[in-house]
Amino acid sequence: MLATALSALRIAFRSVMRSKLRALLTILGILIGVAAVVIVTALGTGVQDKVVKSIQSLGSNTILIISRPAQRSGARGKAGVGGRMTEADGQAILREATSVAAVVPMVSAPAQVVFGDRNTSTAVIGTTRDYLKVRSYELERGEMWTETDERLKTKVCVMGATTAANLFGSVDPVGQIVRIGKYPFRVVGTLERKGQSLGGEDPDDRLLMPVGSFRARVLHLPAGRVWLLMASATDVDTTARAEAQIRAILLQRHNITDEDDPDFVIHTQAEFMQLQEQIFGTLQLLLVGIAVVSLVVGGIGVMNIMLVSVTERTREIGIRMAIGAREGDIMIQFLIEALVLCSLGGLSGTVVGLAAIQAMVVSLGWNMILPPQALIAALATSATIGVVFGFFPARRAARLDPIEALHHE
Amino acid sequence: MEPIIEMVGVEKDYASGPVVVRALIDAHITVNEGEFVAIVGPSGSGKSTLMNIIGCLDRPSRGTYRLAGYDVGSRSNNARAVLRNRLIGFVFQGFNLLPRTTALENVELPLVYRGQRAKHRRAHARAVLAQVGLADRVDHTPNQLSGGQQQRVAIARALVTDPPLLLADEPTGNLDTRTSDEILALLQRLNRERSLTIVLVTHESDVALCASRVITMRDGHVRSDVRQSSPRDAGEAAARAQSEPEPTSARPGGE
Ligand SMILES: Nc1ncnc2c1ncn2[C@@H]1O[C@H](COP(=O)(O)OP(=O)(O)OP(=O)(O)O)[C@@H](O)[C@H]1O
Ligand SMILES: [Mg+2]
Repeated sequence: MLATALSALRIAFRSVMRSKLRALLTILGILIGVAAVVIVTALGTGVQDKVVKSIQSLGSNTILIISRPAQRSGARGKAGVGGRMTEADGQAILREATSVAAVVPMVSAPAQVVFGDRNTSTAVIGTTRDYLKVRSYELERGEMWTETDERLKTKVCVMGATTAANLFGSVDPVGQIVRIGKYPFRVVGTLERKGQSLGGEDPDDRLLMPVGSFRARVLHLPAGRVWLLMASATDVDTTARAEAQIRAILLQRHNITDEDDPDFVIHTQAEFMQLQEQIFGTLQLLLVGIAVVSLVVGGIGVMNIMLVSVTERTREIGIRMAIGAREGDIMIQFLIEALVLCSLGGLSGTVVGLAAIQAMVVSLGWNMILPPQALIAALATSATIGVVFGFFPARRAARLDPIEALHHE
Repeated sequence: MEPIIEMVGVEKDYASGPVVVRALIDAHITVNEGEFVAIVGPSGSGKSTLMNIIGCLDRPSRGTYRLAGYDVGSRSNNARAVLRNRLIGFVFQGFNLLPRTTALENVELPLVYRGQRAKHRRAHARAVLAQVGLADRVDHTPNQLSGGQQQRVAIARALVTDPPLLLADEPTGNLDTRTSDEILALLQRLNRERSLTIVLVTHESDVALCASRVITMRDGHVRSDVRQSSPRDAGEAAARAQSEPEPTSARPGGE
């Protein structure tokens, strides 16, 4: 059987070479399908990778608690601005919720930051030391402000990498004094660059200060009032439990009886993840659909050519049968021919696809990732197409009657 | 001597539409090893039908046919393919060589289906091509060969498996007289030297005269079955033709 398979392979190549143009057009059908699959997969995986990374950069166990006015009736208030959430709520959550590892308050405002003759506008955020832990930032230089700073509302700040670069260039910001509004602030540290962003927000363009300092010097707010609490669950898996605990604590503290109308909203990363998975699930389905359609079209081309080939070579089949070819021998011969066509299409399609990806990455700077499994899948699929669409013509050839085949003109 | 072909009451019907054509009726034929049988008869008398059954390309509608002891009628398509490969060499009127394929590769082909290794096949095919006088034509494709040469390639292909039985349906039908004689001389030599059993269909009495036995068909029946004590020697005729400077032209067969 090996000898027949080898000789069938040779016959197949020869037959492909014999009608070059026809083979080329058939191969083109498969090539386009496979190249499309490869390119689209790389594009999809690239985008997904980027989104997943930016979601993860937020910390996948992060929980956002946004304050808003309770609304028994009428229009919705602007989220965050109204409401009566306080730092004390945050402390209560940290104390009572067993699945919460850290809670930080958050208030923010855009502001001009001035150093010497340079200035930049950035998001000024009032928070506590744990902000770094909750948002998984690392310090690059200097250190975080102290608890004493928080108690005394000292004028200190920590800068994101972009903000620091905008203001200081290559000068070391640590120990320098910047001005925000009327007040001078001492820079005690800078943050390591994160680089990923979700929805255009640059995580490295910000300035952090103790929340008390923020309320005293940047934006006057009632004592203790925060717009946002950011909590992190003890683990990714406990996020849902942490969310439930937080909800219960806040409902109780705010004396809210109507559970459907609280004065806060809770968002978790799991929601974003879910949404993201939903979107990509749909996208993936679409891609698979396109891939299947284009490959089926290519496969029909292969089947068509193989049927023509069987008809053209009916006499040859008759001769082979007369001198002892079994049905399986004939079948293998034509299956291998279809396989050769499809594999050539698959290989060249992969090469074209890879070249196109390279070109797009270089010229458009797109983030494209081709998982190696996708390559293997593309090749395996084209081979499968060969077998599936080659099967019918090959069977037709194998079932020819030798006498009729011999007398075929 | 062992009988290689044993037919008992073999019949073949063809259903063409509502009509049933009885192409072969109650054939009782026994052929022993080493015989050279010619089958003659008018067109449509059932010669090819008989040959197809002998050649295991078709199964009888009724009756039993044994080839070298194997009951062919009860065997599957694949089993008959194996029997053809093991026991029979075919030579056709139209040569039936694979186009665009060298003489060597054509002759190798039956060995491919025996699963022999390429090196082995090639050496063997070369040797058989030399035996039929085509040692210097191994790399020619059919369209580069004359009709006589093509038929020699076909005979080499039939012989390469060393079968006990050679079937030839009008092997000289596409050849001129002199080339026919050369081919017949080759067949007679093979029959004599290897005691190869040959069954040959022909329209020409000159060809039939070369056989040791002549079966005459008519309307699907075997009409007569006679032995010829002194067959015509085709080799002698060919040699005589060679000495006379008569121009010869081989007509290549329909491909
Ligand atoms: N596949 C078939 N279907 C229907 N009828 C057939 C078939 N093959 C042969 N026949 C009929 O069977 C009869 C015998 O045909 P066969 O081919 O055996 O004749 P033959 O003796 O070989 O003739 P020729 O000398 O012209 O080759 C004819 O009447 C023919 O029409
Ligand atoms: Mg006939």
